[in-house]
Amino acid sequence: MAYRRVVNLIPTRRQCVSRLLTPCFHKLPHYVFPQSSQAGLPVAVPQNAPNQCRSTTRTLHTGMPLMVAKLLSVEELFSIRSLQDYLMKMEREYSDCLKVVNSSGTEEQQEDEEGLRAKRTQVSLLAPLVHSIRELDTKQREIAETESLLKDEDPDLRELADLERETCLRDIQALRQKILDLLIPEEEADLSDLVLEVTAGVGGQEAMLFTAEVFDMYQGFAQHHGWTFDILEYMTSELGGLRHASASVSGPQSYKRMKFEAGVHRVQRVPKTEKQGRMHTSTMTVAVLPQPTEISFTINPKDLRIETKRASGAGGQHVNTTDSAVRIVHLPTGVVSECQQERSQLKNREKAMKVLRAKLYSMRLEEETSKRYNQRKIQIGTKGRSEKIRTYNFPQDRITDHRISMTVHDVRGFLLGEDLLEEMNSSLQEFSNQETLMELLGESDIQGS
Amino acid sequence: MRGPLGSYCRRFGRLTRSGGLKWPERPCGGPAVHTCRAPALPPASITVLEAVALWRKHFEERGVTEPEHSSHSIMAHLLGAKTIESLEREKLTQFLSRETAEQLWELCTKRLSRMPVQYVIEEWDFRDLTLKMRPPVFIPRPETEELVELVLTDLQMKPGSGMGAEAQCTCLEVGCGSGAISLSLLKSLPWLRTVALDQSQDAVDLTRENAFSLGLQDRLHIHHIDVLKDADSVVSLCSPVSVLVSNPPYLFSEDMTSLDPEILWFEDHVALDGGEDGLRVIKQILTLAPQILANHGRVYLEVDPRHPPLIQQWVEARVEELRYIQTQHDITGRPRFCILQKEK
Repeated sequence: MAYRRVVNLIPTRRQCVSRLLTPCFHKLPHYVFPQSSQAGLPVAVPQNAPNQCRSTTRTLHTGMPLMVAKLLSVEELFSIRSLQDYLMKMEREYSDCLKVVNSSGTEEQQEDEEGLRAKRTQVSLLAPLVHSIRELDTKQREIAETESLLKDEDPDLRELADLERETCLRDIQALRQKILDLLIPEEEADLSDLVLEVTAGVGGQEAMLFTAEVFDMYQGFAQHHGWTFDILEYMTSELGGLRHASASVSGPQSYKRMKFEAGVHRVQRVPKTEKQGRMHTSTMTVAVLPQPTEISFTINPKDLRIETKRASGAGGQHVNTTDSAVRIVHLPTGVVSECQQERSQLKNREKAMKVLRAKLYSMRLEEETSKRYNQRKIQIGTKGRSEKIRTYNFPQDRITDHRISMTVHDVRGFLLGEDLLEEMNSSLQEFSNQETLMELLGESDIQGS
Repeated sequence: MRGPLGSYCRRFGRLTRSGGLKWPERPCGGPAVHTCRAPALPPASITVLEAVALWRKHFEERGVTEPEHSSHSIMAHLLGAKTIESLEREKLTQFLSRETAEQLWELCTKRLSRMPVQYVIEEWDFRDLTLKMRPPVFIPRPETEELVELVLTDLQMKPGSGMGAEAQCTCLEVGCGSGAISLSLLKSLPWLRTVALDQSQDAVDLTRENAFSLGLQDRLHIHHIDVLKDADSVVSLCSPVSVLVSNPPYLFSEDMTSLDPEILWFEDHVALDGGEDGLRVIKQILTLAPQILANHGRVYLEVDPRHPPLIQQWVEARVEELRYIQTQHDITGRPRFCILQKEK
């Protein structure tokens, strides 16, 4: 997980990765230090290699303590007691359920049909996880066996054992990763597309210029991933810059990635209009709303009030207007959505509906998950809307994400929405995954086993 | 602004209030040529935003409706976009070339004469099509987009009922205008064939042009026929159709005088005026419907909000083979569409 990332970053970018991402290893038994620079697997080194422990210091820009102090490696995670306990618990649950399901046929069991069904579902849900756990156990036994062969007198045998060991280690790493991925539940919204909204914040025209740059960055990001980026609304200001804009983004994993971009982004630089060369700080807000499919989320047409420029008078053949803007109000909640991007009123209506659905869906999701997420540092989606998540400092040419205290350089490059943003986004994802895992394991503070 | 504008263009751009609210009759059949005094082209270069603001001001001063939107639409069109909102940021602060500025001035001057924007830029969107527009052919209204939606909903729900993809499904449109309804249906339903009629040769020509532009000419047959005068031709034109759709002239004659200049001076009155009760053409269509439709075939009409109950009553009394199915409302909540079905 994190190791691949760290390995990629260190040789290619100077001073870009915060020391945070190089964890402290002094206690780990099977410490594997990555030496390969391929985005593949770490290479094993003999266990007696000196471990390096670097202390980590970082400043947090928000008051909340991090749930996850640092990003742990796969190995570190697997050394955590609660994870091992959890895996054993899952295995036990699986065998228990399986026993019940297989021995169903007795009268009393047949009566409890719903319970039986639940057990069957549980079996099928846990099967891939348990299968991977058992495979991992097998591999670990295998590797133990090759240990003895490594000390054999025959050099050929030793070489064979060495290769065998390497393969085993690779498999173990892969299986562990797989197990971690299986443990982290996929959110309902992760599979959906999204509506992206940007709004200029504090800072007048400078904030609006920055908003436009950020919107362009996400357009680049979408292109980088091969997602579609369909602009639904684009309100410019006469002085230049963007007040508010929204776009419908769709493609695989679009919401899953973009959700980490939600929050307040801050820019520090000397504005173009500034005559005295003073630095200004301006802000803009990004909102990321998952877009539900038709089936999963329906809106009653009776709950909507649709406003158009043709509402007064007799309409129809009596009037010829070119302003086909549509505004939709969801009466029960008061949520409003409007669109004037198109010349066809029908198209404007469809786009406005898209945004409305996304807003309402996101409200519903927020309600459902607010209890779950309040512990987490990386508040995804709309919960962290007012939180300052990232600062773009032009004079120092750095971008810092405050949630994970990660800094990268090359603001211009970052704003292209390509590799640099991708790196940061992936790191956020990994942190978030780890937090989810910790929550699952019931851990409130992790320092490493 | 109504009545006073009657003298507007005769007075070279100065708004005067005259008595007499009678609209001057405009001859239809060709773009209006007005000699209103147009603002001069500024000597120095101006940016897109400046030009748009300048023309908005001109339009406001001369009482042109939708001053800001008109200015935006024309500018966007010249820059190759559909709306000003969809233009790239950078373009808005760029300076206009001399050529573009002249074109802008030419088009906006036409708008000053109250020519509808759609005629000024010679195109407009309808659902997902972009159609050519040309005076005096009637400009499609947004409500009619919903009429097409109704027809599509019904047609798409008919698999294997004899009216599906396999069977020869034909649609007849009365009063096709620019071809908006027929071409939308053809675009969405690849298996559909349509026959379209209009009493105006200009409309027939424009529909044909649009059909060719969209590559739909093979499935659309267009005829220059007046349904009021030549009913027999209509009936003999096609074998029984599954769908009869129309946005017929449905204005009450007395309402014609209160129309905006955009409509009254530039669009074909015959496409608007439905007679004293607005039902003249509608009644004719409904009278002929049983002879044109296959059994269980449907009629879809766009009408004036006052019409549905009148139509229902009339059909029940006068047209034995037609059953009134339902009235549908448009998104502003007005009763706007009538659906009827042939029942032998």
